Amino acid sequence: MEALNIRDEASDRSATVAQNTLQLIAFSIGEQTYGVEITTVREIRAWNGATPLPNTREFVRGVINLRGTIVPIFDLRARFGDGQTSPTKNHVVVVMSVGDKWVGILVDAVSDILTVSKDDIHAVPEGNSIDTELLTGIVTHESRMVGLIDLHAVVSGAKLDG
Amino acid sequence: MSDLDDFKATYFDECSELLNELEEQFQAIEEGERGADRLNAVFRAIHSIKGGAGAFGFTGLVGFAHAFETLLDYVRDGRIELVDEVVALCIRANDIVADFVAAARSGETLPSDYGAEEKARFDALCRGESPDGDENGEPMEEFDIEFTPVMVKLPFAEDEAALTLDAEADAFEEAPLAGTDGHWEIRFIPHTDLYARANDPLLLFRELAALGEIDVKALVADLPALADFEPFGVYCTWEISLSSPTVTEAQIREVFEFVDGDCDIEIAQLAAMPAREAAAPAAAAAPDESTPAADEPAVSFADLAAEITPVAPPKPVAPSLVAKAPSSEGAAEEGDQRKNGVQSIRVDLDKVDRVVNMVGELVITQSMLTQQMDENLRVRYQELVRGLEVLAQTTRGLQDSVMAIRAQPVKSVFSRMPRLMRELAQKTGKKIRLEMIGENTEIDKTIIEQLSDPLTHMIRNSADHGIESPEKRIAAGKPETGVIRLSAEQAGGNILIIVEDDGQGINRERVLQVARDRGVVGPDQQLTEEQVDQLIFAPGFSTAEAISDISGRGVGMDVVLSNIKKIGGSVHVRSVPGKGTRMTLRLPLTLAVLDVMLVKVAASPYVIPLSSIVETIQCSRANFSRVPSGAQVLQVRGEYVQVVDLALRFDTPTQVESDSRFVVLCEAEGGVKVALIVDDIIGQQQVVIKSLEENFERIDGIAGGTILGDGNVALIVDVQGLKSSISHQNAA
Repeated sequence: MEALNIRDEASDRSATVAQNTLQLIAFSIGEQTYGVEITTVREIRAWNGATPLPNTREFVRGVINLRGTIVPIFDLRARFGDGQTSPTKNHVVVVMSVGDKWVGILVDAVSDILTVSKDDIHAVPEGNSIDTELLTGIVTHESRMVGLIDLHAVVSGAKLDG
Repeated sequence: MSDLDDFKATYFDECSELLNELEEQFQAIEEGERGADRLNAVFRAIHSIKGGAGAFGFTGLVGFAHAFETLLDYVRDGRIELVDEVVALCIRANDIVADFVAAARSGETLPSDYGAEEKARFDALCRGESPDGDENGEPMEEFDIEFTPVMVKLPFAEDEAALTLDAEADAFEEAPLAGTDGHWEIRFIPHTDLYARANDPLLLFRELAALGEIDVKALVADLPALADFEPFGVYCTWEISLSSPTVTEAQIREVFEFVDGDCDIEIAQLAAMPAREAAAPAAAAAPDESTPAADEPAVSFADLAAEITPVAPPKPVAPSLVAKAPSSEGAAEEGDQRKNGVQSIRVDLDKVDRVVNMVGELVITQSMLTQQMDENLRVRYQELVRGLEVLAQTTRGLQDSVMAIRAQPVKSVFSRMPRLMRELAQKTGKKIRLEMIGENTEIDKTIIEQLSDPLTHMIRNSADHGIESPEKRIAAGKPETGVIRLSAEQAGGNILIIVEDDGQGINRERVLQVARDRGVVGPDQQLTEEQVDQLIFAPGFSTAEAISDISGRGVGMDVVLSNIKKIGGSVHVRSVPGKGTRMTLRLPLTLAVLDVMLVKVAASPYVIPLSSIVETIQCSRANFSRVPSGAQVLQVRGEYVQVVDLALRFDTPTQVESDSRFVVLCEAEGGVKVALIVDDIIGQQQVVIKSLEENFERIDGIAGGTILGDGNVALIVDVQGLKSSISHQNAA
């Protein structure tokens, strides 16, 4: 429905506005909602454990076997500094491509697919360095705040010495 | 990529194979095997390179290869004796051909006089050895003209010099008139196959023109009306008369060597030899048959070309349209030989890799299925169990076969080394002999590709730093010629590549001095002789007093180490002052499969490469003691070995009681042992190595990952990495 509305509006105005929209996969960590661009998402799978990697930061949950390829899993909650998630079978891993690498992000649940206009993306308020470091922007969707994840930032600095 | 680029790529692939073969043949020839088959093999290879080069218009290469070929031909005929000097020249020429090919491949231009000196020497040799030198020298000079990129001017029928066919038929009867000049009559009837294989008669005629003066006539009597013209049909045959005092039938046949079987060739000599004509009725049949043809519209070659070009010249024909061409006996024989020889196909390495990966997955799935079979199921489904057993066997067979596809003899790298050695000997003014042993040892292709640089550096190092100058050697009571021995052998799950020289050995004092000066080694640090030797692999390390053209810049040996490490191998150097140095590369047989021991550390699975494990000991029986620093050491067979508790090292607290844990004694590079402590030993298995770096980054102490039968990931312990991080800590 959402997509339809936007498209109708877009045709009223100009074609460039249609190109100006962004489709997001939204997922939740606790009460918070975050989103990543849908084109980066490769697959969504249930949490099924991971082999821990030694000498990495606590937000690196380990590696899983994704059809013969080894993919690292990042705990988004831990990345934001809220401590490690205690995952259950109901937790979800969102597998995404970052550059030429594939990574998994451990989240509580995947909630929605959203279509937003790029014009509606707000800058992240200065203040908390974790927010500005890990988010590229904030959009409002149905009065909920959705933080846009900067994937490159999330996966960087994974090693203890690095 | 255009078709032509495709052809070019294939041509260059073939060239590198041929050049490898040439290098091999020359190696044998140099060692004294000077049989005819060696020479023939060389000749064939050069000829093939030349042939392709002509098709792509690499004139420099064609020119040089042609001159080289002429020399080889003389050698083959016995007109030039294959003395050492000639062998040396041939080997040098071979290097030049390789340079031409490399330049053509990369699109570089070599200096126009590249190889001219050698060419002049061929010329001199050919002239010097033949009885009437001047005359024999001529074809060589002429060829220079031929290979300029200008169109060769063919004398046409109108030209006075060329005889018309009738006149030549007369000449037949009035043989004495022909004098000493050799007149040849060639009838050339191409089949559709000839065009299907992308041959161009014009190129053949040009080559004939290089032999002597030629007169080409096209017989187009069979040319149908335009309406009936079949685009792929062959309607034109040619008659060529060739005048040259020296040319032999074999030379003419050679021109047509590439189209042998795809055309009918009739060659007859018209010169003063009626007796010979009678003795060879087959050959004589040619001019007889052609007599009626003279009544038909004979068009000069140039005219014909002008006429038919707009219509569409005979073009390559679809294979289905090709009628089986009657092949000459020679071609049939050759075909049989080909059938009996090793048959091979070219396959993109990517495709093989895909198969390797899929087979890897299959192995995992198969072992997963086998693990699912518990005792209950075994009893209830006996058929299923049997099926799984067969599956396991087949999978293993499949895996071995796939790995065998990737395995290649190390020859392909080794064969590049003799040339390097010649150049090094020349540059350093030392006398060096290269011995190669075990070139047929097979190893994974990826590893072979990674070997070229390290081997080059190692041999350079041996030639530059190891082998002494002839004077020094004589003074030291050694033979004047130094020996560098390059050998490959399989040792268990590894391939050992050894570069050994009988030079002066590593100057340990100097190495240590330089290492201390550069801060690689601390001032108080004491090193064993072996550790000092190993220092030459440190980055930026060079003891050469003067930076030579060959080595001494300090890059090189560290490249060896890093390249070899990258492919999961290790380097070990051993040196005896005054006697020589031996560098050993220990390489895995294949990159894809590893024999491992599966262990547990803090409930997580890890695997340790079996090749590095010496023994396993229960902790309760192990003899631990503490050194003053507080670090734990293990006493085993009179040796004190450093201990690494993997749970501590990997910062993963374990609940397992220390007495029920295990010691895995491993041997790292250079025979240094390290004792790893793990929680439990699960068993041995084969695993497929997966990269961690593909999606993550390198982790200290971890060499990679692998996927176990249950689908979980296990990490591969990097024994070498763990050991070096220990010495790092100690040094700090």
